[in-house]
Amino acid sequence: MSFFLEIFLYLAAGTGYWWWTQNLTVFGLAPNLLFAAALCAAILAGPVKAVAWGFFLGLYADMLGANMFGGYALTYSLMAYSVHTLKRHFDMAGLFPQLVAALALSWVSMFFYQGLSLAFAKINPLGLKIFLVEPFLNALAVPVVFQVFYGLKRRTGAL
Amino acid sequence: MSREKDAANYALVFFAALSVLLLLFPASKFAHTARIAVSYSLYPSMHYGAKYGHFIRNVPTNFVSLLETDQENRALKGKVRDLEVKLRNASALVSENERLVSALRLSRSLPWTGSWARIVNKTPADWYGSFFIDKGSDDGIAVNDTVLGMQDDRAGLAGRVLEVYPKFSKVLLLTNSAASAVCAISPGGLEALVEGKGTWLLKMNYVPEEASVEAGSELLTSPGGLLFPAGISVGKVTKVYPRESFMNFITADVAPAVDVNTLKEVFVVRRNIPGDLTGRGQGEKK
Repeated sequence: MSFFLEIFLYLAAGTGYWWWTQNLTVFGLAPNLLFAAALCAAILAGPVKAVAWGFFLGLYADMLGANMFGGYALTYSLMAYSVHTLKRHFDMAGLFPQLVAALALSWVSMFFYQGLSLAFAKINPLGLKIFLVEPFLNALAVPVVFQVFYGLKRRTGAL
Repeated sequence: MSREKDAANYALVFFAALSVLLLLFPASKFAHTARIAVSYSLYPSMHYGAKYGHFIRNVPTNFVSLLETDQENRALKGKVRDLEVKLRNASALVSENERLVSALRLSRSLPWTGSWARIVNKTPADWYGSFFIDKGSDDGIAVNDTVLGMQDDRAGLAGRVLEVYPKFSKVLLLTNSAASAVCAISPGGLEALVEGKGTWLLKMNYVPEEASVEAGSELLTSPGGLLFPAGISVGKVTKVYPRESFMNFITADVAPAVDVNTLKEVFVVRRNIPGDLTGRGQGEKK
């Protein structure tokens, strides 16, 4: 049951991200809900599930674009692993650690993906506007997504 | 804790290796086409910039043509929408042009000199009382100039200029309850006073009881009136009221020759009435 719920949650996160970027962008900017979902799943889930969520959400992000395939999957897998490592030292359920982690990991992920893109496709995908603003939008989105995931985990045992 | 750490490490190695494999091995034609199809379905855009060729590599030409046709279709739909808006605007301009051409042709045949002005402000609270026109003292408009409107290709009396500012003027409509005009009733030429009532109808007063006034009689401005040139259509009698027992004249309702509701432009006739007669200058504003 919880497996199907997680599939549903995965698709809902992807659809929510797609809908937001289609209808609610401001100056072409929107929080990266896939990133936020990967981060929250990494905070709440066990080690294998955390990395798996990062990988599959990254795969979804890869499917949305036409750039190299597997770039986001690798980035979010590594990001999920680093969150799993961090939560042994910090209480990631708190608001402040989530904000800091969302900000820092957004930038790190962007740099990492840019490095991959330059290495594999010789394309620079990073826009300055997105680089400067999106991490803050992600930081705002992460606590909200976390509460949603946390509520579902408590009620249904998903994640 | 160590088991958990090991599990995390194994998971990372597995998924990282899978990602790297996906990155290293170029996608097959079918997989890349499927990916472009999914991507395009969610984000229907092909703005890949200078790397366009790179992004559509491995994708069959027919499929790319299909996507490009869809892009072209979307762009054309946008253009059609823009053109629809322009067409509506153009049809409004055409009707305005026809109206002005018709009015201008009439103005050449008018025996008075003057200029056309556009109505720029009608106040709902004073709909039948007054409005503003876009010409003022800079254009030679003066207080008490006669204002004509066009209705069914005929010039009719709309009112007179009440206040003049450098760039615009206020027109007192004949339908204003403070406005009146001395009129001659066709065909006999009997004179009567037509007054505004603040509604779309005018009221004709002081008609002798024995006068032969009936519904449909036309009223023209009288040579005896000072403010308006003679011979301008004022309106038509719609209803004649019988004499009241305490009055020695009859009254009638008059439909104005000009419908204020449809007026867009007016013709302002230069009157050059001697200031001593009208107290000109009182209405001029600086």
